[in-house]
Amino acid sequence: MQALLSFDQAPPFSAPIRFFLTAPLFAILAALLILWEGPDLFVSRWTAATLALTHLITVGFMLQAMLGAMIQILPVVAGANIARPRFVAAVVHLAIGSGALCLSAGFLGHPPFFNLAALCLGVGTALFAAAAAWALYSVQSTNPTIRGLKLSLIGLAVTVMLGLLLSIALGESLALPLLQLTSIHLAWGVVAWSIALLAAVALVVVPMFQLTPAYPADFARRFCWAAIVLPILWSLVDLLGWQIASTTLASAMALLTGTFALQTLRLQSQGTRARFDASQQLWRVGMICLIAACGLWLLARFLPMLGDRREWPLLCGILVFVGGFMSVIVGMFYKIVPFLVWLHLQNRGGGRILAPNMNKVIAGWQIERQMHAHFLSLATLLTATLFPGWLAYPAGLLLLLANTWLLRNLVAAIVFYRRHCAQIDATISASP
Amino acid sequence: MHDNIAHLLTDDHRACDTLLVAVEHAVAKADWPLAKSQFAVFQAAMLTHFDVEETILFPRFEQKTGSAMGPTQVMRGEHGQMRQLMNGAESALAAGDADDHAGHAETLLIMMQQHNVKEENVLYPMCDQHLAEQFATLLPMLSEQINNRQGAA
Repeated sequence: MQALLSFDQAPPFSAPIRFFLTAPLFAILAALLILWEGPDLFVSRWTAATLALTHLITVGFMLQAMLGAMIQILPVVAGANIARPRFVAAVVHLAIGSGALCLSAGFLGHPPFFNLAALCLGVGTALFAAAAAWALYSVQSTNPTIRGLKLSLIGLAVTVMLGLLLSIALGESLALPLLQLTSIHLAWGVVAWSIALLAAVALVVVPMFQLTPAYPADFARRFCWAAIVLPILWSLVDLLGWQIASTTLASAMALLTGTFALQTLRLQSQGTRARFDASQQLWRVGMICLIAACGLWLLARFLPMLGDRREWPLLCGILVFVGGFMSVIVGMFYKIVPFLVWLHLQNRGGGRILAPNMNKVIAGWQIERQMHAHFLSLATLLTATLFPGWLAYPAGLLLLLANTWLLRNLVAAIVFYRRHCAQIDATISASP
Repeated sequence: MHDNIAHLLTDDHRACDTLLVAVEHAVAKADWPLAKSQFAVFQAAMLTHFDVEETILFPRFEQKTGSAMGPTQVMRGEHGQMRQLMNGAESALAAGDADDHAGHAETLLIMMQQHNVKEENVLYPMCDQHLAEQFATLLPMLSEQINNRQGAA
């Protein structure tokens, strides 16, 4: 029998929310780094400051949000509860937060921090992966989402292991093919972990929040396998130095990502909701950015006049990480956080006190304006890759504004939660 | 005719989603009489679905597995939460308060969807597994209850 009898142990509110609150802090640090470094940051993807910036966004912002969301979503979509969620969440949160800080310190001229970063991120992700794998171990892969979640964990583990190797190599000055290993680390991080997890979650949440038709069954079944098999094959042929096969498989990874984004946009256009809300707009912009990034990547690969320019890798990176993942994550925060506030308040009232509905948790106009600040910061960052002298500082300021606002909105949700908890407790203690 | 419980009740989930969207569209057009009548149809469909599960499906599952405190108990609790949210949405409609209705409807929708995911991914496959030998009598019984409601609507 499936070991799926524990729906009721929904993770405590603190388990996902601590990750969600920390994510914007790292995006704020990323913005401060842009302001500190100025136009030099946009010279190349390989400068130390740019690598620090990339990891503040990917490890600091994205990984926090993705692990927090996974803790919440595993019981719902797979009936798989992480054991001792408070302990696991607290340790993983502390470890990956410290790891992201150390990693940035390492890139910014303090090499001893690379080893510490490796230790923290290794411990944090190993604990998370072990806890999630343990929860999922006895769950049959009855649908593509459950399989996708399992496979994405492999993607995460490989990404982090390659990252640890690179980190130690930088800390200890080991003679390894750093550029090649970095490309492999990046492909695993983007495709086998991030896109695989995004797709596994999208299969459930796009039809669920936007009331669209389901993803085609064949697409859903094959996608999660392709998202792990292609990076495996590409890594092998790239290490073997087989150029044509490497280019073909790398292009296939880009096309796979683009196909997912196109499919999602197509479904969204068939959504039946009466209102097109902020969350849906953020998803749409996210998918458009992923398609643009794939198109740009393919053009740069096959058109030397574009491929030789220094701007395209930066453009691609901003499109994927800020345009694609950050947009979708912010959009998901605005659904998940208010709903969790409602759910935990409702449970606290024990069914006797009706909790305020989720639209009261964060004011609609605050969400709308934060979203516009995010879009503006995205557009300015993209343009800053072409005109860094003019736009580096405005881009930093706008990223700072958008993420301070995001933090403000999330904190508003927590304040709302605490206030209503106190009211509910007072009402219950007043009525015997 | 459906060949198992998962297909039958999943289709009914989608039917309820469609009915809620119809309410949303009526509210968006500020057509309050239409919104109220659509909401009544939606609420009746939801209550029938809960009833079919709570009086026919869950007791059989509990009898077969020997547990009344497992997933079915959690599902009953969530049905209770959705009943409350529907009452909230209904009051907002009666008061003509579009914002309050939108808030309740949004909360209800997510509650419904995450509840459906649990049932469709986990509970219904378990029911199909444990109650397969009762399909001959059980499936027509479930269909009849659902169809009676649809006929009435």
